[in-house]
Amino acid sequence: MEAIPFSRFKEAFTRILENLERHREELNDLDAPIGDSDHGESVCRAFARVKEAVDAFPEDQKDIGALFTAVGKTILFSGGAAMGPLYGTAFLDAGKVALGKSSLTFPEFVEVFAAFVEGVRRRGKAEPGDKTMYDTLYPTLLALKGAYEAGEPLEEALKKAKEAARLGMESTKGMLAKRGRSSRLGERSIGHIDPGAASSYFIIEAWFESLMGSSS
Amino acid sequence: MKKFINRPENLIEEMLEGFVKAHPDKVRRLETERVLVRKDAPVKGKVGIVTGGGSGHKPAFIGYLGRGLVDAVAVGDIFAAPPVSRVYEAIKAVHSGQGVLLCLGNYSGDVMNFGMAKELAEAEGIPVEHIIVNDDVASSPKGREENRRGVAGEVVLWKVVGALAEEGADLPKLKEVGERVVRNTRSMGVAHTPCILPTTGKPSFTIGEDEMEIGVGHHGEPGIQRTKMMSADEVTTLMMEAILEDLPFRSGDEVLVLVNGLGSTPLLEMYIAFRRIAEILTERNISIHRTYIGEFFTSLEMGGFSITLTRLDDELKRLIDAPCDGVHFVQH
Repeated sequence: MEAIPFSRFKEAFTRILENLERHREELNDLDAPIGDSDHGESVCRAFARVKEAVDAFPEDQKDIGALFTAVGKTILFSGGAAMGPLYGTAFLDAGKVALGKSSLTFPEFVEVFAAFVEGVRRRGKAEPGDKTMYDTLYPTLLALKGAYEAGEPLEEALKKAKEAARLGMESTKGMLAKRGRSSRLGERSIGHIDPGAASSYFIIEAWFESLMGSSS
Repeated sequence: MKKFINRPENLIEEMLEGFVKAHPDKVRRLETERVLVRKDAPVKGKVGIVTGGGSGHKPAFIGYLGRGLVDAVAVGDIFAAPPVSRVYEAIKAVHSGQGVLLCLGNYSGDVMNFGMAKELAEAEGIPVEHIIVNDDVASSPKGREENRRGVAGEVVLWKVVGALAEEGADLPKLKEVGERVVRNTRSMGVAHTPCILPTTGKPSFTIGEDEMEIGVGHHGEPGIQRTKMMSADEVTTLMMEAILEDLPFRSGDEVLVLVNGLGSTPLLEMYIAFRRIAEILTERNISIHRTYIGEFFTSLEMGGFSITLTRLDDELKRLIDAPCDGVHFVQH
């Protein structure tokens, strides 16, 4: 089985930033019903800093864990808002599992991504169905894991996981918010996609596409 | 968007530069992080009081820096919690050996960032306690207070713990009294006009010309009801009933009243509201120990106001009455 090299993980952050910037306005608008329509601004600013940190990452170091740790620290220390601690913890936790690895095999990547998703759950104390980022991330993990266990090739698994992320994001539309600022909306939270679930999807979309190496 | 700004992305930095230049006798800025501290911090023998949150609430948070109030403020972007590192540096800057008390509003971003900064500081041996303000009765029903937003009641908390820290109280005592303030404080806001967010140029919410939002949050979060505009007496009565019944405030209680403009509501209208507040309290045999009226915790230029009541005991009365010398809050 072919492993995903360090370079793919590094390049992914350029595409993540591009994708978030492409959807900046949309993320701001999704945030409006909750209160302050700035989620697009917050994630774009944080991932712009991430891009700087990744660009400054030592050329000769090919440690995926160290890369994720640098990314996590950057988001945690410069991100702010609610997404700072959430995405920050996710990358830090993923970094711990990937430490010392210059490439990840499919099962290794499943393990690293599981730590990423668990980091968000742990920090945000979210459960599936709470209308948060976790509703995008958890189905993504299940799809990735399921595809691996079914013996599907990595490329196919990433495609399926990406689709699961999209459906997960969409599913938040019908949910009643239970955590975070939107939880105070009560019934009025139904009918809007959660902005955190949406930014998570745009991150997954760009990230997994980079790992596939497709040019879309 | 009609605002007297230069570039939206430089807004906070330019505001802070002006602020520090305007008040060099009272505040200074840390070189490492976007943190403002009281000029003489860390104050020897005193517990440090750290607060912070998103910007856009002037005079909160930085206007409360000063003797008898707050020692450090971690400054976030517009309506966004400051990151962990900023809160952590604020803690370190005001720790004089007596520990640090964190005061924050109940927002998931603030709770996570302050919480992680607290863990980091504790790991370095700095004693840290925190108090989370959740005074907004409109943001979640009674019985689910832990889910309520913190609004202007945080001003009362700063006043009380600021005075108490100045007297030399230790960290456990500050935590105990601060939590008593939170338990006895209730607020509610209304708005008829949103603020325009300088980063996006968009209003914080949309609302009809003749409508108002009852129970609005101070970032423009929806409240409990969207209705047609009401008169000052009608809306004040409705807000007071919600506040009084929630605690509940009872006959014989003594209270602090804080009438807070949310940004573009004239003081004139706040006094009209206060006239009704005083009537209602008299009817219920609740006496007013002290009143604050003005802009204490705004939402940029949002049109509306909030009412906060705190039930006072003798100790809280003494601390509320103590002098303070904040940048935008001076009491003799």
